[in-house]
Amino acid sequence: MLFNSIDFALFFPLIFILYWFFTSKSLKWQNLLLLVASYYFYSCWDWRFLFLLVFSTLLDYYSGLQIEKSGSERLRKFWFWLSIGINLGFLGVFKYFNFFASSFADLFASFGFQINIWSLNIILPVGISFYTFHGLSYVIDVYKKRIPAEKNFVEYSVFVSYFPLLVAGPIERATHLLPQIKKARKFNYFQAVDGLRQILWGLFKKIVIADNCAEYANLVFNNSDDYSGSTLVMGAIFFTFQIYGDFSGYSDIALGTSRLFGIELLKNFSFPYFSRDIAEFWRRWHISLSSWFKDYLYIPLGGSKGGKWMQIRNTFAIFLVSGFWHGANWTFIIWGLLNAIYFLPLLLSNKNRNHIDIVAKNSYLPSIREFFAMAVTFMLTVFAWIFFRANTLTHAIHYIKAIFTKQLFSLPEVRPSHVIALIFVFMCIEWFGRKNDYALATFGLSWPKAFRWSFYMVLLIAIFILGTKEQEFIYFQF
Amino acid sequence: MKKFLLKLLLFAAIFFIIDKLFYVFIHVSPNYQVDNRIELLLQGKINKDIIVLGSSRGAMNIIAGQIEKETKQSAYNIAFPGSDVEFHEFILKTLLKYNKKPKTIIFAVDESLELIPTTSITYRLDRLYPLVKYNYINQELIRRGDRNFTSWFMCLSRLNKTNFALERKPTKFDSILPCGSMPVNFEDTKYTKPYKYEIPSYSIAKESSVKKAAYQSILKQCEANNIQVVFAFSPNFVAHSKAFENRIRDLALPNSKFFIYDTTNSVYQNKLYFYDESHLNQKGAAIFTSELSAFLNQMPQK
Repeated sequence: MLFNSIDFALFFPLIFILYWFFTSKSLKWQNLLLLVASYYFYSCWDWRFLFLLVFSTLLDYYSGLQIEKSGSERLRKFWFWLSIGINLGFLGVFKYFNFFASSFADLFASFGFQINIWSLNIILPVGISFYTFHGLSYVIDVYKKRIPAEKNFVEYSVFVSYFPLLVAGPIERATHLLPQIKKARKFNYFQAVDGLRQILWGLFKKIVIADNCAEYANLVFNNSDDYSGSTLVMGAIFFTFQIYGDFSGYSDIALGTSRLFGIELLKNFSFPYFSRDIAEFWRRWHISLSSWFKDYLYIPLGGSKGGKWMQIRNTFAIFLVSGFWHGANWTFIIWGLLNAIYFLPLLLSNKNRNHIDIVAKNSYLPSIREFFAMAVTFMLTVFAWIFFRANTLTHAIHYIKAIFTKQLFSLPEVRPSHVIALIFVFMCIEWFGRKNDYALATFGLSWPKAFRWSFYMVLLIAIFILGTKEQEFIYFQF
Repeated sequence: MKKFLLKLLLFAAIFFIIDKLFYVFIHVSPNYQVDNRIELLLQGKINKDIIVLGSSRGAMNIIAGQIEKETKQSAYNIAFPGSDVEFHEFILKTLLKYNKKPKTIIFAVDESLELIPTTSITYRLDRLYPLVKYNYINQELIRRGDRNFTSWFMCLSRLNKTNFALERKPTKFDSILPCGSMPVNFEDTKYTKPYKYEIPSYSIAKESSVKKAAYQSILKQCEANNIQVVFAFSPNFVAHSKAFENRIRDLALPNSKFFIYDTTNSVYQNKLYFYDESHLNQKGAAIFTSELSAFLNQMPQK
């Protein structure tokens, strides 16, 4: 069930009504409803994988209890590593087995040994990377004694399986989400209206921006041999907006949906394409994943405490793991590596925390320097996305080679004016809303109600008219 | 909560009213089609003895008007460039639903792509979008998952961006004759390859079960309506694939007829008679159509 589907448009109001009108007097019933709804939501993809989700939940729940209960450090470690091992084992088998098998076969083949590697014909369970990371963060936090083990199974299960974030995040932390699940929720008019507004903006990003850009990005990437350098650049730019619209759109819908249930989720995007350097980009892109890696990988590896060399090593480690997290393909690993390389000069010159604030905080427009910095960061990002989007590493290299030809300066063959206009309008709204949690949070709030509602109507009409066939979200595959 | 629900309902009500204003686009968009043959089908205006079904090879290579003259039977071409066998099935179903049953269907097959998935021949949804004012078309779009049930009561759910292109934009291929055929009298400048004598191989393993089912459904519909099916194999600028022909014969019903172009005719190895490697030009189409007419004239009349 996709957020942008008619099924969800029926499912969500039904759960909303049940939640606020029939179960609002009992937190226990509200949580049970959320759990049943989440399991139903998940089983709409493939009910067989529901067992995997339930098993993973049970494992982490039980491990958490045992870690807390165990008197000896040895037992605590046992339960901790058992949970980590099984969770990563599932992820490894379902997501990475075939990748490792074929990579080993290729490696042997390069030395002249032909080996037949057994490969698994399995489907990747949707959302496995997300809910596994939920579980891992919980077990690590319990083991590190940052939080007590959760005793209530239903509440813990809602934390892992809560449907707005189940299949594509944001990756939540037990410290942030569990207290909200355990607390009685009261309907808040302003929170609900804000939630609806965020859903509207998320749908606009996904259906109008991402899906329309996807049409042309796919056209160019799937036929890259036939196009000129300038068209290939256009294709990469379309993909840049596609992935942003798609994933941040999903996050907005997830956050907005959750707000309607009175639960605030972690912010996942903060206008990344207005970043002035790559370090700022990574503080603004897929924030919940970046911070997860920072807290559960970068810091345990020593973070920046062990001097420059350790800082560089750890930075490369998290970018490579982050790339690998996205998928079992060398393209993602190179994408991660490329971002680490972009990051390196900032790290070496201690400039990686230069841009903590919002760009052009006190003015309407950026300064020339800021504009130039944003443009350079954007172009670096566009270049890196080529690896992310390409089917194989060879495809990415051919794509890049084909860009740098004489035809780079010719008029692109693919230049859909309506999509370019949509991107321009979209980025203008994003720019004016950049100081908020999402672009539409306060945009137009000072206008007369008639104007504001008309603006929302226009967005809604655009969603209907400019929408293509229901397209899956890119991040579902991760 | 009450305030929230009231505002939500008010917003929804205003949206519902605005939605109805978009009916005008649903209503006018058929007027801006270059090719109105599907609309003629829906209006029951295609009542002919012989109907040509197929993709661009049917549309460009078979001139229905010439068949009319040479066979003394009325004929019309409802072959759509770029369309696949599933689309042909839909066109046939529409023809039978709204029009008089033809005596003969000439099924122009796409050698060798008729049953194999390809991006060059697809289900032409874009041909249906301008016609969403017809519930029958809307129902078909719902069936194919391109629309949902809300399109029964919401205009915006029926529309998409193509309905707002309120101008006709004919291309040089859109020279549709009154008989529905679309022969061309120019050639593809990119087409420079010589005639291929090597017979292309055909792989049954690559066939799509959906396309095969659509193909068989066409035959069953024709059989149920007592329509004679004539499979027309028109020339490519490549040697004829007997393997493909045999595959089509194997899947066909026993009473089907097969017309294969005269493979000994040197005209079909001469570039002057081709638009590109898969399509004849007007001169070539006239020769092929006359061979086809001769074949139809030999057949016993129903």
